[in-house]
Amino acid sequence: MEDKAESDEEWNYQFLEELVEDVEENQNIRQCIECGKCIGECPASKISDFNIRKIIQKILRGDKSVLKDSDIWYCFLCERCKRVCPKKGVNIPLLILNLRNESFKKGYGPQYNDLTKYVEMAENFLTNGTVLEDPLDGSLSKERIDELNEICNFARIKYVFKASEASKAYKKKIHKKRVKK
Amino acid sequence: MEINNLAINLEEIEKRYENPLDFFRGKKLCLFKACLEKYFPGVRFGIHDFLEELGLEVTICQNQSCCSGTFFQRNLITRAQFAAINERNINEINHQADILLVSCNGCYNSLLRGRDFLKDDIVRKKTQDILNEVKEKMGSEKYHGQYDILENPKLRIIHDLDFFYLIREELVNTLKFSLKGIKIAVHYGCHYLNLDRDKDTNTYLKDKTKLEELIRLFGGVPIDYQERESCCGWGASQIVIHPDDALKVTYKKLKSAENVNACFILMPCPTCLYTLSKPEFRERIHKIFNDELEIPTIHLNELIAILRGCEEEQCITLRRKSPRFDQIYAHITEE
Repeated sequence: MEDKAESDEEWNYQFLEELVEDVEENQNIRQCIECGKCIGECPASKISDFNIRKIIQKILRGDKSVLKDSDIWYCFLCERCKRVCPKKGVNIPLLILNLRNESFKKGYGPQYNDLTKYVEMAENFLTNGTVLEDPLDGSLSKERIDELNEICNFARIKYVFKASEASKAYKKKIHKKRVKK
Repeated sequence: MEINNLAINLEEIEKRYENPLDFFRGKKLCLFKACLEKYFPGVRFGIHDFLEELGLEVTICQNQSCCSGTFFQRNLITRAQFAAINERNINEINHQADILLVSCNGCYNSLLRGRDFLKDDIVRKKTQDILNEVKEKMGSEKYHGQYDILENPKLRIIHDLDFFYLIREELVNTLKFSLKGIKIAVHYGCHYLNLDRDKDTNTYLKDKTKLEELIRLFGGVPIDYQERESCCGWGASQIVIHPDDALKVTYKKLKSAENVNACFILMPCPTCLYTLSKPEFRERIHKIFNDELEIPTIHLNELIAILRGCEEEQCITLRRKSPRFDQIYAHITEE
């Protein structure tokens, strides 16, 4: 019986090349020997269907459906896989971040409503410089906050922040209307 | 351009200095502000007070922001933006200090990872472009090179755990109390335990048994447990995104340490401490698994403050400590 994994026509590196264009290190996933060590040690695999070996197989076969898989959002980015991998330079956490980025770009990633937990953190970061309200050492000066905002220009964190402001303004408007009534 | 990762090489210091503390004398030290220290001020106090007792010059950088790892790990900022935030922090701290001490695994990993990204030519160029735009927007530099990527800066970074381990002989002389043979489970945290930058070279982080060695030195007994190396459950904010799933990991860890009768779990990271100790998480675990876990948790810096005889309120945050911790505190500090 023909082993699917060894059949030449199963391989299609076009998708991988696209990922490599963005993150050169992704080239190293071609070294994967499918030993499964990463899965055995992976916390996400213990609580979800997240399976690094399957994800790599999909990429090496040019199967972009991986971008729609909700499993890629389960990765803990704990770097355990990187530590136990017998091959040098296979950087799974960076690959997952790259896949998530592509997933976001194609509109498959989390929507604003899925990111509500990050709204408050984003707001704090762009207004006081930490992820928490009333930080231990007080807020950064306005000048320093301006620097952070400039660095984050066009980043998703800014859109999350703007969406939260719009949402707040809308709630305020509704509240005012109710009070008037 | 040479981009180094700035981590202190412990082996080199041990080789060059008979008393490793001498390496730090006469140098300006800075404590990196970790966001979650807000909930556990004893983490900051524990190292700050100790450094002052040693007569070392220690400061905080008022211009430092959060490391931004949380946002990078959720793809809310790019690699170049993450590297730019990191480089801005390193530049500010480099301007005022020689050594940066870090109490949080997440911040420590961000500081090393941000520099690692700069080794990629494309990311480095994008990062410098971002910093140039910041420079243009701000009008002028407060000091020369404020918005430049640093090539081989003088600043060196060390995790608090590595620092305490390096100067352990000096440290043990400052302790007023001992752990009196109590059993302690250790949790290193993924972003300390799994850093693979020293995978082949065994250089600056060396063996990952430092907590156990410190416990023995303090008179306690480190106790092994099945989930010693597992994640706390935070997992790049999985605990806020998929809480009930992530809490399975947290539960398994806590249960495993309880099963070997550990008195408490010792760790070197406030993010892990937050995950393993937050009352709301413990309550949720109780609800999901019908199991009420009481095992207390503590950060290394807090424990050292207790052992040095500091005031209880300064060592551990009253808001977060469990009743069982009162017993441990009383046991350790009993004359």
